[in-house]
Amino acid sequence: MTAIAGHTTAPPRMAASSRQRIIPALLLMPCLAWISFFFLLPLALMCWRSFAAKGYSFAAYTVLFTSPLYTKVMLTTVKTASIATVIALILAYPVAYVLTISGGFRRALILTFVFIPYWVDIIVRTFSWLILLGDNGLINKLLMATGIVHTPLELLYNSFSVLIAMVQILLPLTIIILFGAMLRIDRTLIAAAKIHGAGSWQAFRTVFFPLSLPGVYGAGLLVFVLSLGFYVTPALLGSPRQTMIAQTIMVEASELLDWGQASAAGLVLLIITTLIAAIYNRYFSLDRLWGGSDA
Amino acid sequence: MEQSAVRTSGARVRLRNLSKSYGAVVAVDGLTLDVPAGTFVSLLGPSGSGKTTTLNLIAGFLTPDAGDILIDERSVADVPPHRRNIGMVFQSYSLFPHMTVADNVGFPLRMRAKLSRDESRKRIAEMLALVQLSHLKARYPRQLSGGQQQRVAMARALVSRPRLLLMDEPLGALDKKLREQMQAEIRNIHRSVGTTVVYVTHDQSEALTMSDLVVVMHRARIAQIGTPRALYEAPANAFVADFLGDSNLIPATIVKTAERECAVRIGNRAVIAAPPAPFAAAAGDRAFLFVRPEDMTLQPASSVQPQDRSGLVGTVKELSFHGDVFKLSIAVGDDVLKAKVAREQCGSFEVGRQVVISWTPNAARLLPATSDGASSSESGMR
Ligand SMILES: Nc1ncnc2c1ncn2[C@@H]1O[C@H](COP(=O)(O)OP(=O)(O)OP(=O)(O)O)[C@@H](O)[C@H]1O
Ligand SMILES: [Mg+2]
Repeated sequence: MTAIAGHTTAPPRMAASSRQRIIPALLLMPCLAWISFFFLLPLALMCWRSFAAKGYSFAAYTVLFTSPLYTKVMLTTVKTASIATVIALILAYPVAYVLTISGGFRRALILTFVFIPYWVDIIVRTFSWLILLGDNGLINKLLMATGIVHTPLELLYNSFSVLIAMVQILLPLTIIILFGAMLRIDRTLIAAAKIHGAGSWQAFRTVFFPLSLPGVYGAGLLVFVLSLGFYVTPALLGSPRQTMIAQTIMVEASELLDWGQASAAGLVLLIITTLIAAIYNRYFSLDRLWGGSDA
Repeated sequence: MEQSAVRTSGARVRLRNLSKSYGAVVAVDGLTLDVPAGTFVSLLGPSGSGKTTTLNLIAGFLTPDAGDILIDERSVADVPPHRRNIGMVFQSYSLFPHMTVADNVGFPLRMRAKLSRDESRKRIAEMLALVQLSHLKARYPRQLSGGQQQRVAMARALVSRPRLLLMDEPLGALDKKLREQMQAEIRNIHRSVGTTVVYVTHDQSEALTMSDLVVVMHRARIAQIGTPRALYEAPANAFVADFLGDSNLIPATIVKTAERECAVRIGNRAVIAAPPAPFAAAAGDRAFLFVRPEDMTLQPASSVQPQDRSGLVGTVKELSFHGDVFKLSIAVGDDVLKAKVAREQCGSFEVGRQVVISWTPNAARLLPATSDGASSSESGMR
């Protein structure tokens, strides 16, 4: 009896499972087609061009890794991105913490303020720094009016202006990632620390902070990857002597028309960011960032 | 195990008219309770009766709306949780995931006691020996089983020798077998450390077996306080009678009250004798006649002459086997009564048979027929 029953139920079950596999595939098709045509295909072209444009050789890559110009640009890029990341983390941490411990209305209010600049276009935000930091900008005018300085400070077109604008752009995302990580910390652990003798500061230092560190590292990696590719901000606010990699690629492509060199630099940047994302995924799991499983 | 080394004296805890509301929800309503030093007291009640809220008020995680908490005769209203010198075991254990077992257990010492390194290490070793986990001190909590985590939580709660230990359903996440084993262990540990314990549970058998004193909570208030035996044998109201163990609560009308005895009518049938009501009652009042199923004596109706039948006569509706006993449901008029009989006596009762039910007069009690009486869903055979 059982054998027969098993026999009759098997075929429909198999049909169901193969249908279960086909439907998601069908649903993914339009998206896959879009990505292939507008992302993978250009990527492949770029890859091909980086070799083809230099007579089918690695010449473009040799330049990348040997020319002092590229070394300097890469160093500037990594340095700027690192500093921006660290500052963004330091500024975002307390905000994320306050978000975590406050409830309802206060949380919504802070979140709104965090996101208002996020809704403003990145170019508009960058230009607003031009207005604030220029020789005749608001800050210098204030400083001179109050007599603190007599000649305007050089606030613009240097690494200071680039960093300040980058951090401002990165902050909302950093706060949100940290906030997400902190929300996952079990609040009864803090209660457990307190009842067993820890004051608020000690509970934070010995329990909350260590448990928030994986989230900090994760946010750091992600923000760093984002900062590596910044273009508009250093282009508008930075010094031409301290260009970042995205600007150099732009110059190669649109001014020097050296598409092979631009493609090679772009690919290297892509590989670095992918590697970092892979490390992130391995140790911090991209899923968790988006509120997926905690495993 | 060096028992003397871990021994402290328990604290006396008094709650005075304690109240706490969450918005419109009254979670704790005018609680007054005196816990003698060194007592193991359980807060027992159905879900939502205010047990956790009471515990969190004692811990200091919540501030009472009204009333006061005295630990060793001193009000702790202005004392933050970390200075109350309390140990606590949480339902989900709440061990620190980034610390080893030894560091978890040592946490209260690092925060509280300014002990030398050697002294702390000795204390941690002592505590781990007490909960039999010395061999696992280098592990992380996620590498432990539920029962082991539970023991680490106990060790952490007790290591700084607090005079008061709070436990919120500490065994809720364990399976039945392990739960019974841990119940015995917790009792033993309590006996060897001597601290006062306030233990929250909604499991009546757990409360009965473990506690010196049980506080039955119902709808934010105390329904009754007493020793497990007193609560079981002399419940003050239908809620307590029903919540603790199996019970029969037979709706009755008081016919006559006297000093030594009174008489009640069940349905529109027999008038039977009952012990005097432990509450103000007059003839004509409604009440519950309470009898434990195991206190009922059953006889086959055929073996008793009609003129000798002093009890109620009913028909067996259901018979179920529970290992050591049989449980019977017996229809008497519109009421269904529960009875328990020993295995060897069961041969004479079958479904459909007529039986005579009786009990000794002091096995029965009259309980007030309040509105929030036996309405709980906890009734039925267990
Ligand atoms: N943070 C809160 N906000 C609002 N209402 C709450 C909150 N905590 C508890 N309550 C309410 O207070 C009442 C008592 O809750 P409490 O947690 O003390 O019950 P309990 O006896 O511990 O129940 P359980 O056995 O389910 O744990 C319940 O009605 C509950 O819904
Ligand atoms: Mg509770």
